[in-house]
Amino acid sequence: MKIVLARIDDRLIHGQVATVWSKVTGCTRIIVCDDDVAKDQIRSTLLKQVAPAGIKSHVVDLDKAIRVYENPKYADDKCLLLFTNPTSVLYMIEHGVDIKSINIGGMSFKEGKHQITGAVSVDDKDIAAFKKLNEMGIELEIRKVDTDKKVMLMDVLK
Amino acid sequence: MFAIIVGTHGIFAQELVKSCEMICGEQKNVRAVTLVPGEGPDDVVKKYEAAIEELGSACDGGVLFLNDLFGGSPYNAACRMVISNENYGIVTGVNLPMLIEMCSAQLMDEGSDIKELMQKAVDAGKNGTQTFHASNVSDDEEEDL
Repeated sequence: MKIVLARIDDRLIHGQVATVWSKVTGCTRIIVCDDDVAKDQIRSTLLKQVAPAGIKSHVVDLDKAIRVYENPKYADDKCLLLFTNPTSVLYMIEHGVDIKSINIGGMSFKEGKHQITGAVSVDDKDIAAFKKLNEMGIELEIRKVDTDKKVMLMDVLK
Repeated sequence: MFAIIVGTHGIFAQELVKSCEMICGEQKNVRAVTLVPGEGPDDVVKKYEAAIEELGSACDGGVLFLNDLFGGSPYNAACRMVISNENYGIVTGVNLPMLIEMCSAQLMDEGSDIKELMQKAVDAGKNGTQTFHASNVSDDEEEDL
């Protein structure tokens, strides 16, 4: 699997992803990697039917995502991976998935989170995961769309 | 590079450009032109001319007018601009999918053959109209990984 973009965006497949990122990355598959979403049949079904033309979309749990990553059958597929939170990305990387940079597009505000930029809110668990990813040398950049200037997450996480 | 001018009845054009920017980020080579109550096609022509002046060199490859209504005043005014310039073209029935597709064509620099761009805009506008009903859902439709 060729990972053309790993993005954290809890809206998952929506306007910015369906129109901008799918195009600039030239991906052939969009894979939502999330244990909770994979269990939610209605949400999975709806996500699968909003794939942009010519792109297949899938919703899998993290262990399945790792198996798909390792499967030589998909070696040449250009995949856009979507996550709802950094803990999931960390899990995948710790299990051997080669991700060098993570784009953070949107993490919505909820009770118990604090807002670090207009589109990104984090809680303690998110912060711990981001710190660990940063220590591993993984780029953590905030951008809604690819023409935005990259804002480094660690710079605003203070 | 080509420029995009969205021309509509009322402030629809302005708001449509704003909605597009929510998805695609700031758009530098797009202008909104509005026809407000009391104005006529002559006023709109003036606004189109001002927009083209403002867009400057972005118009060198052409100007694509996206209008709301075929036969409406913003459209009629655009026709006056387009009739004397082969690098200009109009597509009517503007909607968000159409505008996004054209902004993305600017971004990806997909050329500036105005007739090709017009066809792309038409296709995007039509493909943006989809339906969904509970009966559309079938489990075996998606190929599993």
